[in-house]
Amino acid sequence: MNVLTISNIKKRFGDKEVLKGVSLSVPEHSVFGFIGKNGAGKTTTMKAVLGLLGIDSGEILVADEKVVYGQTKTNKYIGYLPDVPEFYSYMTPSEYLKFCGEITGMETKDIKRRSAELLELVGLGEEHHRIRGFSRGMKQRLGIAQALLNSPKLLICDEPTSALDPVGRKEILDIFLAAREQTTILFSTHILSDVERICSDVAVLNNGRIAVQGELSEIRNMRTADEFSVEVERSEDTAKILSAFSSICKEVSPTQIIFQNHEKDMFNIMKFVAEQQLSIQRIERLEPSLESLFMEVIDK
Amino acid sequence: MKGMLAFIKKEWLETVRSGRLGILAVVFVILGIMNPAIAKMTPLMVELMTDSLAEMGMNITEVYVDAMTSWTQFFKNIPIGLIAFVLICSNTFTKEYQSGTLVLVLTKGLERYKVVAAKSVIMLLLWTFCYWLCYGITYGYNAYFWDNSVADNLFTTSLNWWLFGLWTITLIVLFSMLARNNTGVLLGTGGTVIAAYLISLFPSVKEYTPAVLMNTASLLSGAEEITVYGKAIAVTIVLCVLSVAASIPVMNKKQL
Repeated sequence: MNVLTISNIKKRFGDKEVLKGVSLSVPEHSVFGFIGKNGAGKTTTMKAVLGLLGIDSGEILVADEKVVYGQTKTNKYIGYLPDVPEFYSYMTPSEYLKFCGEITGMETKDIKRRSAELLELVGLGEEHHRIRGFSRGMKQRLGIAQALLNSPKLLICDEPTSALDPVGRKEILDIFLAAREQTTILFSTHILSDVERICSDVAVLNNGRIAVQGELSEIRNMRTADEFSVEVERSEDTAKILSAFSSICKEVSPTQIIFQNHEKDMFNIMKFVAEQQLSIQRIERLEPSLESLFMEVIDK
Repeated sequence: MKGMLAFIKKEWLETVRSGRLGILAVVFVILGIMNPAIAKMTPLMVELMTDSLAEMGMNITEVYVDAMTSWTQFFKNIPIGLIAFVLICSNTFTKEYQSGTLVLVLTKGLERYKVVAAKSVIMLLLWTFCYWLCYGITYGYNAYFWDNSVADNLFTTSLNWWLFGLWTITLIVLFSMLARNNTGVLLGTGGTVIAAYLISLFPSVKEYTPAVLMNTASLLSGAEEITVYGKAIAVTIVLCVLSVAASIPVMNKKQL
């Protein structure tokens, strides 16, 4: 079952069409990576899902209920973490979570139990100061705690790791891995290593459309073309190889060449290297990476 | 209802912890003390100035002060209190738009009208508290020094002014929906109050404008009765309800 289904939504700001028909479905219990360049329309899409932004056409369903702009009932299924979460700075984390619990209509004892659990999960269990003095990472972690408070079906996070240092990023990703069992996570990002670490599904948004979508493993396999990298010691050898195999190779640096073809070409190249007695630093088969896929998709 | 109550509690906590309550209490206490103090000091100041006034050819024999002098001061000073109130409270919505704190609250499913209602209730209570605090202090001193019974229609006159303040607060709510920043709210609120005042200068519509609720002298002296203000009171109450009611659909479609 899909917890979120977006069908052909369009959104225009002035004369700029940001979303040109985005369709997307997020299966339950997935960690869904929503990838795109800065300004691709990721935040716009997420805000539309939350009913914070009106769309020009199309339809959004959260847990099979339609999202309406302005006041939407579907938000009860969603926990949301904005890119820079802002809290009432005069409250302490537990006061803030109590307030959040009360506005969602949770029972007092549930609020207490969940708050304690979540503050522990995000590592703010011992923090009794007011939010005013919190670092960005701490705010981000509190943001996750408030988003998970009422055990939402869908957790939407807008670039949760973009502004954090490597330690902060790792902490957030670990929290996501721990939260995966309870909920479905949709998060937008442009950091591909984060996606490779925790996502089960991905979609790439480019030019206002979804360019690729599916399970991460399938998407990796989409790139069937094998690539080999040959690194030589002397740059004049690069020229020799290039002149012999000009149709199938390209130079990426004075000492490195990449071949994009079949395995038999590699043997030909190795034969050529042996015959010419070129000194080689390494020959390597390149794994299809998300990055190369991403680059390919957005270059289209 | 629980959500609304939680938001009211949050607003109250904000009023206290941000120091808003403290500042307003100090302002209104000072104003409350100033009214009888100025009345009490008037003869002294006139005496000090007698010589210079005599040089200008003015002869002052005796200055008479009573509770009426102090109440006149009260209605002269209370606009300062209202202006302070508007300046301090006008950012209650815009601060939340700009910092983005409201986004998290609304995405938790709190209905937007509850935000409008909760903030309106807190501002109403705060205004009521500050206004009657100032009134109470002036009343107490006046009763001690003089006799409050010289002022006719004292309570109803004060109620009129309180209602005028309330209308100004509902304007803050309305303009907080229409504007994105604090300047917009202040300009809208101030502009509307000035417009109401200008309209009240036309004799034909005068009796319908909220601005006439600020005319207190003839009520206090007993020259007019409260019934004269019936239409203005009714119009003001309707405008208050309309401002808040109109705010809700605007809030529902407001992009945050």
